[in-house]
Amino acid sequence: MVVGQIEDPLDFAVVGAGPGGYAAALRAAQLGRKVTLIDRDGADGVGGVCLRVGCIPSKALIEAAELAQRTRDAADMGIDATLNAVDMPRIQAWKGGVVAGLTDGVRRLLKQAGAEIAKGDFHFTGAKTGVIAADDGQPRFVRFEDLVLATGSRPVTLGDLPTNDKTILNSTGALTLDRVPKTMAVIGGGYIGLEIGTAFAKLGATVTIIEAESRVLPTMDAHLTRPVSRRLKALGIDVKLGTRALGHSRGKLAVSDDRGESKISAEVVVVAVGRRPNTDDLGLNVADLQTDDAGLLAVAEDRRVAPHIAAIGDITPGRALAHKATAEAQVAAEALCGRNTAFVATSVPAVVFSDPEIATVGLSETEAKAEGMDPLAARFPLAASGRGRTINAGEGFVEIIADKADERVLGVHIVGPHASELIAEGTLAVEMGASLEDLALTIHPHPTLSEQVAEAAHVALGRPIHISAPKKRKKSTA
Amino acid sequence: MSDFTYNLPDVGEGLSEGEIVHWHVSPGDTVAADQIIVDVQTDKAVVEIPAPVAGVMKSLGGSPGDMVPVGAMLAVIETEGAAPKPEPEAPRTEAPKPAAAPAQIDAGKRPLASPATRKLAAELGVSLGDIVGSGPNGRITRDDVQRAAEGGAPAPAAPAPAPAAPVIAPPSGEDRVEPLRGLRRQIANSMATAWRDIPHILTTHEVDATNLVAARAALNEELAADGIKLSYLPLFVKACVGALKRFPAFNASLDMERQEIVYRHRYNVGIATATPDGLIVPVVHDADRKSVVDIARDIEALAEAARARKVTVAQLQGGTFTISNYGSYGGTFGTPIIRPPEVAIAGFGAIRDVVVPVDGVPAVRPNLTLVVSCDHRLNDGEHLGAFSAAIAATLANPVRLLGQA
Repeated sequence: MVVGQIEDPLDFAVVGAGPGGYAAALRAAQLGRKVTLIDRDGADGVGGVCLRVGCIPSKALIEAAELAQRTRDAADMGIDATLNAVDMPRIQAWKGGVVAGLTDGVRRLLKQAGAEIAKGDFHFTGAKTGVIAADDGQPRFVRFEDLVLATGSRPVTLGDLPTNDKTILNSTGALTLDRVPKTMAVIGGGYIGLEIGTAFAKLGATVTIIEAESRVLPTMDAHLTRPVSRRLKALGIDVKLGTRALGHSRGKLAVSDDRGESKISAEVVVVAVGRRPNTDDLGLNVADLQTDDAGLLAVAEDRRVAPHIAAIGDITPGRALAHKATAEAQVAAEALCGRNTAFVATSVPAVVFSDPEIATVGLSETEAKAEGMDPLAARFPLAASGRGRTINAGEGFVEIIADKADERVLGVHIVGPHASELIAEGTLAVEMGASLEDLALTIHPHPTLSEQVAEAAHVALGRPIHISAPKKRKKSTA
Repeated sequence: MSDFTYNLPDVGEGLSEGEIVHWHVSPGDTVAADQIIVDVQTDKAVVEIPAPVAGVMKSLGGSPGDMVPVGAMLAVIETEGAAPKPEPEAPRTEAPKPAAAPAQIDAGKRPLASPATRKLAAELGVSLGDIVGSGPNGRITRDDVQRAAEGGAPAPAAPAPAPAAPVIAPPSGEDRVEPLRGLRRQIANSMATAWRDIPHILTTHEVDATNLVAARAALNEELAADGIKLSYLPLFVKACVGALKRFPAFNASLDMERQEIVYRHRYNVGIATATPDGLIVPVVHDADRKSVVDIARDIEALAEAARARKVTVAQLQGGTFTISNYGSYGGTFGTPIIRPPEVAIAGFGAIRDVVVPVDGVPAVRPNLTLVVSCDHRLNDGEHLGAFSAAIAATLANPVRLLGQA
């Protein structure tokens, strides 16, 4: 630091304006703090990856793609329709409007809360000091009372496939394509790769998904992913498992598997092989903070990493999900405002907007066993749902994991249309410690997909109405 | 290859954390499934914890002396194959335990409470694990948390000024501060709970121990050939069992939640036992079906195991009544605290010579002060008097033991 450098006093600083950072800023302002929200992109950065180039734009694109697909399938219901064209620039304009509307809303909220937005990268210069360095301005030295780190994560890059904004893209680049490529290869069969690959297939691209593991969505239980694998096939998406990408040139992607090397036509390659936390460039060691090998900061129950510093979201252990960051933000802001608090969630729900959607909360059967419990698993098939039939739904189910001893709901796993919405009930059940009876005795409106949740609870209790009850073991005839 | 994260299971009832005593393995070591990897000190015993899966130890969840909460990462084991399917198994306690009574595993179980209640507990600094919920299935309510935060006192009818919490002067440089951990904390919690929840009443009897002293001397003379030397304790146990059989409401439990009284059919007598870490109460199971010599052997073995910290969970469970033999430290009178879910406890003072009137003339006799505490919710003074008098009568005239069913 320059000798005699004057440090700007900041009451409550938040680094990163994503769904974690802006929520922390708003909560701190509610508690009477003067907030400075620091983001690399300044006011343009409000909303972070999620709102600007992740969750929200990808869901808009998936929705448009689904509409195209349903138009193709409309004849199944007796509607003759023709899909004339997928006008990508107009889809992007519509999507841009969605994102702009939401980010404007957040900026307005921040303004009303009296939060200052500072543009630049934050680096620590001490335990309570730092510098905000912008490309186009003077570095600003600051001394903060309290600070929330919410810097999020960025896509992992592959050395052999460096992104170039034209033919090799990361997820952000893929979501801003202004045309549908004839052929697209997606590296990575995780949730981001599946969502993008499926959307572009429905928009008309010939899509290949390259996955190094032996199945797509390798971190999820296999039975949840099977309906998705079958649907990928039906959509004509070529899924190459146990395969690695080697390099891309002139519209061909070189890949290798245990049978050797081969080439795949791919006008555009999308690299979606995971994300890494943005903690390497903060100067954490200056503030006496350390990350683990994965770059994550271990946090206390109240999300603090030091008396006056908290960390939330993708830079902390747990799944890198916006709703986790938002929930943690409120805990962190309250903790730094002197409140006794803790992140009390039993489980963070996770949703994959694949086709069909997958949503899970709480423990799987395997996890419950690993924790020493004696779980039961019960499943109700989507095929037996009246509402499912009327929307021409394909494959899916609701599965409930409960503790045999007290019938407490430990986990809910849903595959099928609107699984992302249906999981909210499962999440409430897990958080409230609801029992199977609680779910079964709660009247679910008919005809809705939500009935599957109650039906699955009935299955678990051994008295399903809309599927045949599990057969009792044959008694001896004596 | 994949990583299997092994979280500390609950190896005994109500365990909230364990202290790592000793690692049998180091990171990088190859372990077989069921191989003992770590010793963990729980509130009650040292438990050997086996690896749930085979693999290579990747990282350890703490160093010896560290406290690991139940459900927190104990170790990460890198396993062959993608999805290990462990068969979780009860970790083994160090001493062999009766096969019939395996340690109950209730791992991963969280207190039943809504998110709002959990947050309130965090705000008030209350541990949900220490609260017995008043709702259905033991659900912890906001009121339960509030009550626990206020020290368990029922809400006053009129807003009285809150009693000031005891002010603990901040430690000065010369004061020694150590965390409340392990057995000491367990004792602190259980004694506070018992004292708070149970309305104790107690009564005492001065017992002329002349015959008791003579009976023990005679027995020891008989048993000397077998190398056995009895203390008074097995005789106390027998005397109590006789009285418990006559007064079943003292060998019982009170279930306020279900509004039931449970009369126990077994007579399992806990013996309050001092260990270097603090008080534990190993149990002589089925004392009604054992001879005085058998009971003596049981007590000997339990005391030995207790001092070596090798008492099994099974040996600490199932008590229906407790004896405190504070007389062995020289005291003559005590105020024993009942151990829930039991409803009574007997305390025995040291036998010492006192001057007592015998037929109107002062005489010197060995005297034993018997104290019996009971839970007034279940038994009244009248019942306590009869029960304690039955014990006292047997102590005064041990030949009664011969006629005991």
